[in-house]
Amino acid sequence: MRFAYPGGVEVYPEPGLTLTLGSGVTALVGENGAGKTTLTKLLIGLLRPSAGSVTVAGLEVAKITVAAMARTVGYSFQNPDDQLFERTVQAEVSFGPRVLRRSAEGIERGVAWALRACGLEGKEDVHPHDLGLSERKWVAIASALAGEPAVVVLDEPTLGQDYPSRERLRSLVRELDDRGRSVLVVTHDMDFVGEACPTAVVLSHGRVRYSGPTSKAFADHSVIQEAGLEPPHVDSLARMLGLSECVSEADFLSAWRR
Amino acid sequence: MALSSTSLVFENVSYAYEEAAREAVSDISLSIAVGEWVGVTGPTNAGKSTLCLLAMGLAPHFFGGRLKGRVVVLEKDSRELSVIQRSAEVGLLFQNPFTQISGARERVDDEVGFGPECHGVSRLEVAARVEEAMALVGISQLAARHPMDLSGGQLQRLALAGLLAMRPKLLLLDEPTSQLDPAGTAAIFDVLAGLHASGITIVMVEHRLETLCELCPRVVAMVAGRIIADGPPDDVFNREAVQLRVGSPVFTRLAREAGLSPPWPVRLRDATAVFGRRLA
Repeated sequence: MRFAYPGGVEVYPEPGLTLTLGSGVTALVGENGAGKTTLTKLLIGLLRPSAGSVTVAGLEVAKITVAAMARTVGYSFQNPDDQLFERTVQAEVSFGPRVLRRSAEGIERGVAWALRACGLEGKEDVHPHDLGLSERKWVAIASALAGEPAVVVLDEPTLGQDYPSRERLRSLVRELDDRGRSVLVVTHDMDFVGEACPTAVVLSHGRVRYSGPTSKAFADHSVIQEAGLEPPHVDSLARMLGLSECVSEADFLSAWRR
Repeated sequence: MALSSTSLVFENVSYAYEEAAREAVSDISLSIAVGEWVGVTGPTNAGKSTLCLLAMGLAPHFFGGRLKGRVVVLEKDSRELSVIQRSAEVGLLFQNPFTQISGARERVDDEVGFGPECHGVSRLEVAARVEEAMALVGISQLAARHPMDLSGGQLQRLALAGLLAMRPKLLLLDEPTSQLDPAGTAAIFDVLAGLHASGITIVMVEHRLETLCELCPRVVAMVAGRIIADGPPDDVFNREAVQLRVGSPVFTRLAREAGLSPPWPVRLRDATAVFGRRLA
């Protein structure tokens, strides 16, 4: 798959991007400008490839309208202010399923679940712009979830999030995984990648530099360096102590106890 | 501490936004000396961003609301100065860089020069400052681009360059690297370390506790509008109230979970030493 922005900036150079994302929770990481956000926009049809194709859950994205893709893919933008426009949290979060003409019962179930999972219960009547940045981020995430899509794409969900919020996000992606959804998380937060994402794709300058288990993603230093990454903090500590590679705190503690 | 050496002082400051039911900050007292690098952290709605807005004077000058107590910035009472006057010496980097860009300039270099230009700095001097600020944050190659065409990370660097072109004495940074990749983050923190070494006072809101402990000799932990701890990171993050309500750096959590005895380490090098001793 190839894509160039108007003006000619080629995001995925010759021979183009070939990538298969499986089910479960996948992290998409790489330096600023690596092509991560562009990739997510190609997944939902906001952008169309200039060559090749993108297929999501058996649907060829180029042949379907963005509105129809929204039935399959829930997407939360990097900047929540690009996404939020309703006057209350409730109206914002229910907008997607309403437009998708879900049944009243389906809307109620999806919205209630999304509000609970995102810690927004009790804030239903608040104007989204009266909330702080991190809570607006949660409204954007809830909006992506309320239509109960099979695929969830979260662009920088940990941005501006405090520790309890990051814990909530961790349990959210686990719950989505348990419900059989596929989740793609774009992030610069390597601790979060290690804790919450079993699979990782490292993108650098529009090329896939690594795709596989997160536990092996930080092993090759040239890849790490080129993609502007840093290993998770637990990994750095484990290396200093000569323990085997660890990407999560649980990994570290079991290696330590051994 | 003599008054002449303070950069930022809050004296029993409480503030509520217009029409807000509760105060965003309550009875805050804080004194920051010239040249300090202070990290501010705490959960959502702790009052961290409000603290920055108060120091900049945007609250209450722009946001309205009710201010009690005294905010003294570079030895001047905040009530006596307009935000414009203050912006000659104090720079605030907003949490969301998209809101920082003036929208009045169509090139990155013009945007960087917008502040000094508005303050009547000579054309030659503006050009020199713009070049220096862009080089410092690594955006020289973007000089001719339109600010609105930049990525989040590039925009965040641009916003910082715009502040640096003002040559501020006090920098208020609300999550200055939230949009940057780890390498870009490290580069910006190097820039801040250089500014700190040159004597500029930095107050920085940061959620990543490991980063905070690595960089800031002093940490202020806030919860629900109040300061619950203020001191060196090792002291602050070894307090139970902070661990419960703000969280701990990963090294502190690991040491606690591994059953090591407190005080627990807050930085990588200390954690390596503490765990290493147990291994030996």
